[in-house]
Amino acid sequence: MTDTLSVAPPNPVPTKHLPGDLAIWFFILAELLAFAVFFSAYAFTRTNHVELFNLYQQTLDRNAGALNTVLLITGSWFVVLAVKAAHRDEQKAISRNILLGFLCGGAFLVVKVFEYSAKFGAGISMSTNTFYMFYISLTFFHFMHVILGMVILAILWFQSRQGAYGSHHMNGLESGAAYWHMVDLLWIILFPLVYVMH
Amino acid sequence: MQFKSQAVAKPYFIAAIGLFVGQILFGLILGLQYVLGDFLFPEIPFNVARMVHTNLLIVWLLFGFMGGAYYMIPEEAETDLFSPKLALLMFWIFLVAGALTIVGYLTVPYATLAAMTGNDLVETMGREFLEQPLPTKLGIVVVALAFLFNITMTVLKGKKTAIATVLLIGLWGLAVFFLFSFYNPVNVVLDKFWWWWTVHLWVEGVWELILGSFLAFVLIKTTGVDREVIEKWLYVIVTLTLISGIIGTGHHYFWIGTPEYWQWWGSVFSALEPIPFFGMTVFAFNMVNRRRREHPNKAAVLWALGTGVMAFLGAGVWGFLHTLAPVNYYTHGSQITAAHGHMAFYGAYAMVNLMMISYAMPILNGRAANSNKSQVVEMWSFWLMTIAMVFITLFLTAAGILQVWLQRVSDTPLPFMVAQEKIVLFYWMREWAGVVFLIGLILYIASFFIGGKEEAAK
Amino acid sequence: MSGAFTKSMARNIFYGGTTFFFLLFLALTFDTHTQLPKRDMRQNITPQIAEGKKLWEVNNCIGCHTLMGEGAYFAPELGNVIVRYGDEGVKAFIQSRPKEGIPGRRSMPQFNFTDEQLDAIVAFLKHVNSINDANWPPNDQG
Repeated sequence: MTDTLSVAPPNPVPTKHLPGDLAIWFFILAELLAFAVFFSAYAFTRTNHVELFNLYQQTLDRNAGALNTVLLITGSWFVVLAVKAAHRDEQKAISRNILLGFLCGGAFLVVKVFEYSAKFGAGISMSTNTFYMFYISLTFFHFMHVILGMVILAILWFQSRQGAYGSHHMNGLESGAAYWHMVDLLWIILFPLVYVMH
Repeated sequence: MQFKSQAVAKPYFIAAIGLFVGQILFGLILGLQYVLGDFLFPEIPFNVARMVHTNLLIVWLLFGFMGGAYYMIPEEAETDLFSPKLALLMFWIFLVAGALTIVGYLTVPYATLAAMTGNDLVETMGREFLEQPLPTKLGIVVVALAFLFNITMTVLKGKKTAIATVLLIGLWGLAVFFLFSFYNPVNVVLDKFWWWWTVHLWVEGVWELILGSFLAFVLIKTTGVDREVIEKWLYVIVTLTLISGIIGTGHHYFWIGTPEYWQWWGSVFSALEPIPFFGMTVFAFNMVNRRRREHPNKAAVLWALGTGVMAFLGAGVWGFLHTLAPVNYYTHGSQITAAHGHMAFYGAYAMVNLMMISYAMPILNGRAANSNKSQVVEMWSFWLMTIAMVFITLFLTAAGILQVWLQRVSDTPLPFMVAQEKIVLFYWMREWAGVVFLIGLILYIASFFIGGKEEAAK
Repeated sequence: MSGAFTKSMARNIFYGGTTFFFLLFLALTFDTHTQLPKRDMRQNITPQIAEGKKLWEVNNCIGCHTLMGEGAYFAPELGNVIVRYGDEGVKAFIQSRPKEGIPGRRSMPQFNFTDEQLDAIVAFLKHVNSINDANWPPNDQG
């Protein structure tokens, strides 16, 4: 099983394979499906309340959203570097990059908490109106996923410090990385959909 | 039988089948009351008969779960049961408590029963499915804890397989979520909110773990497919079950005074609930197709495949039909709900218990499988009961669609009873399908008494 | 590790995923409890209404009727019965049920309630009717 990947990088891996464990892909698919249904519900509802949605969309902090987009993409980039480092068996680089990815996630949470406290401080909740119902539901659902992704990165970091990953042991790292990329991907859809498009 | 202590499962299975018969007889009474309104009135009013029908269902399923666990856990843990004596004692306590409760329902007016049994101390009675008097509820807790202690100790001293772990989580969840049945605030919205923590988190949560675990166990035994393969699929399926089912509770929070965002959260997550059931169907068929041996107990394999398909249809498809909030606005609390409830309970929980009984009983009687003659009769009973249930569901669905149209959608909505009278034909057909179901059940019991050339014991 | 599918990964995802979604459910439950006082009219609950709820329970009304759509489907929805019958109409209906039922028709038992009990039941049903349940049922027929 491991032989295909221990071949030097210039030789392409003969068969295409799914990075990470099949089990994580079932989970990722289920999560994507839940988000997809939620996104469709948003789009569908918006067509019936375009003015309401456009009006309250103005109240969202786009700069914070854009900053968060950059943070998550950077975080994903660090995780890619961690996986590449594992292919080359550079132990220190693996854990360093995972940690950097984790910090990007943490920064995302900080920005988001500032954004939320402004909204909640103004007395806005999921029951305020349909737009805020979607805004809070979608972003909070995603927010929780960032936390879950960070828990996974923390576990990966801890394991990597003990030398658990390397070119022969990619399964756990690739699975966690795939999940983190999903969290990133979801935000890349969520941000334009909820913050920008009108 | 690999371990002597597995034998305690037998009385549990027999009691389960006995109570199942009672459940069906009361189902027929209820069906008849739907068409002949004053049938057995005032001796057995509808609400009493319904309470007996649903409570017998819950109790026989619990007997089946416990029997199945007592049979399965020693074999999984590869050690004898921690205490067969305790299991037997609990059997009698549970049976007597259950029987007394039913006798109480049938002989005393419910309000008198409530006064007699200390409902004034802790008011828990009179809520759907949780009608049991306080002593019975406490009895359920005691029996469940003793049972859990017994099987947990067995697993702790033996091997801890994935199948046993999933079963234990399911059973502990069952006990924990039952505790919400003791919480009955005066605020009716809170009452309903937490009531679902027992009811929904049972049937669309932890019970599905029990279902998955039983199914995985019987599939390993009958197909000879690698445990490793079956167990990892089991984990994937129960993961999908809980990630959709837990927040799926929200589909009960549309119209009971809870915030309106539940219409979205509930719709989104319950729309995903059919997926794990579909996974279970594919899983069962796949494993049987990849079988490495021909198990002599064909009837058990048939039940295993049947429960996969019927749980998907009943819980998955019929659940999805009316789970989206805009649809549910019209169908909530109609015969469509009843249609879904019947097929889902039969397909998921009645059938998985019958599968376990079908697999285990011959072995408990000292043979790998029953004679061919007996199995043929059992398979006939499978088809009769299953097809009858399909028709019960279809007739109730038709009745429900008409009811919703006449009473809630049309421009001139009719009063409830006027609408009911217009759909009486479907209730008659449902009753006849119920009679066929009973015939199937009689055949099922008959199959236990058919001898013939037995398959050799292992 | 191409095409790996391991039991340990499946197990970890089961534990992690279940915990995650349960926590999310708890968060929603918490939010619901902060919002409920605006919808469930708890400030109006009197001892009489509590008594009515108890009578509703110990006579197993839910064994035939639905309340906000939950219960049995043998008899009409009662969450809005006050709208259909009015206070006095509800009391008169309950009081006038014949002991032996109505030949050939679905029959409601005669519970022999006192006047105070009837008042309590009506108070409870009125309270339920006042709860903000997102405009369910679709019309007065329930």
